[in-house]
Amino acid sequence: MEYGWGDLHIGLIHGFDACFSAQDVGAFAALSGDTNPLHVDPAYAVKSGYPGPVVFGMLTSSLYSRLVGVYLPGKFALLQGIDIDFKSPCYAGDLLHVTGEVVFLSDAFRRLEIKASIRTDDGPLVSKATIRVGFHGN
Amino acid sequence: MASILEELQSIFRDVLDQPDLILTRESNASSVDDWDSLAHINLVTSIEKHYKIKFALGELQELKNVGDMIDLIEVKLAAK
Repeated sequence: MEYGWGDLHIGLIHGFDACFSAQDVGAFAALSGDTNPLHVDPAYAVKSGYPGPVVFGMLTSSLYSRLVGVYLPGKFALLQGIDIDFKSPCYAGDLLHVTGEVVFLSDAFRRLEIKASIRTDDGPLVSKATIRVGFHGN
Repeated sequence: MASILEELQSIFRDVLDQPDLILTRESNASSVDDWDSLAHINLVTSIEKHYKIKFALGELQELKNVGDMIDLIEVKLAAK
């Protein structure tokens, strides 16, 4: 998307679906250096009471970066801040629904705020976020 | 009823994460720790949401300190 500032309005909504594989989770562990066994060791995850390795919260939250950088507002986005609450674990192969809605616009500094959430296909809320986005286009 | 200065102090404490911050009319970006450009955007948007008012960039560029901000807020609230 390539929204201009004047195209944005309160209530504007965008969403998309995504899915992380076990390979994606392994790649994130390698990139971030977070090798906590809950995320990378299936036997440990099951022993800890989970059906499998839990996808990193910060990996699922990278979808908020895609949301603002590609869709809402898209090209002219500059991510300035984000508050995230993690609600439920998700697992490799889960289909994730990402949705964001513009809830505040400030003309003075061209700043928008987005309420966003990630849910699994069967309903549970994975996380919710308040995202503060600068706008550097026209 | 809290004064605008007291309400701004509460907003500044929350946004700047400084629970003991004391704000005066003379406070400005040089005298308040961590009041940088991004914090300024966060402060202004928090003030807009709190009072349900909108600022123009030109209005904000003329402000020298918190006292000027209070005066501008009073004008905006009177015009609502």
